Amino acid sequence: MIKTVSILQIIVALTALAFLLTGIFKYIKRQRSQTFFKLMASVIIWGSIFVFSIFPSITHSLSAKLGFGESLNTLIFIGFVIIFIILTKIINIIERIEKNISEIVRKEALSKINQTKTND
Amino acid sequence: MNKNPKIYIIIPAFNEESVIVGVLKEVRNAGYNNIIVIDDGSHDATYNKAGSMDNVISLKHFINRGKGAAIKTGIEAAKIFDADIVVTLDGDGQHNPKDIAKMIELIENGNDVVLGTRLKNSKGMPKHKILANYIGNFFTWTIYGLWVTDSQSGFRAYSKYALNLIDTKTDRYEYDSEIIREIHRNNLKYAEIPIEVRYTEYSMNKKNKMNFKNGIKTVIKMLISN
Repeated sequence: MIKTVSILQIIVALTALAFLLTGIFKYIKRQRSQTFFKLMASVIIWGSIFVFSIFPSITHSLSAKLGFGESLNTLIFIGFVIIFIILTKIINIIERIEKNISEIVRKEALSKINQTKTND
Repeated sequence: MNKNPKIYIIIPAFNEESVIVGVLKEVRNAGYNNIIVIDDGSHDATYNKAGSMDNVISLKHFINRGKGAAIKTGIEAAKIFDADIVVTLDGDGQHNPKDIAKMIELIENGNDVVLGTRLKNSKGMPKHKILANYIGNFFTWTIYGLWVTDSQSGFRAYSKYALNLIDTKTDRYEYDSEIIREIHRNNLKYAEIPIEVRYTEYSMNKKNKMNFKNGIKTVIKMLISN
């Protein structure tokens, strides 16, 4: 099934394997940050990347079975766009939270001055 | 501008207990008595040591929010005291308070912002810092559209007019570049003056200083927040 394996395939496969094993070890070590849901997501995503990088021809047969035919590239492109949109949303949410935290911290720091002024 | 403007010196500080008293004494000896220190969530006695000095208002962020956030808190505090001119300088002693007088003079002569620049007098400045500065200037110019000779300098002075117009969103090292954007956006009159920077073993070894990793982070944040 493996005809010729390129360096890129090996790099992608090793990277996927590293993330996959890290996720599994974290779960075995019962680290708080690693939940069962996160482990499953990790196995599905990195597992798929690992398999597809070693056996790229699977994508074509899978695409045909799912009825996408030759439009697989369009599907991948749409996938990237969706990931980009989600990433942007997450960054915006984080920025808003960071800003709110700073505002709360600032308000608390300045309360000392306001208190002194009120007492005067 | 008032004949006797209220001048406030803002000093953000993070874990500077060993040098903060010396820095404050130097500022006072240079003739400035309205000093606001913002301890940005230090784990040491920076807040108490600064607060023990006469004429020093010591404020504390209960968690670390970054240099930009600390300066912003200081500026808000200065606004409460109705400051006419605000000067910001670093809490690690690398800036020489004797340079403040030149900055204030330029503000009194009609400038809205004065930027202290290390590159106009880079003698003694480590080469990697000079290179990092040029890279910082390049990205600031590319993203915010204004070329300045030191976009990352923390030694700056602002008029009351500028303080009321400047609206920043970022909290960390990208704050310094964001100020450049605000100067450009609000068409503020600015001047750049050479400042003395003292690179001591202490200031060079500080862990939270701008390094390559922080530089990359800063550029990414500048791009996102733009």
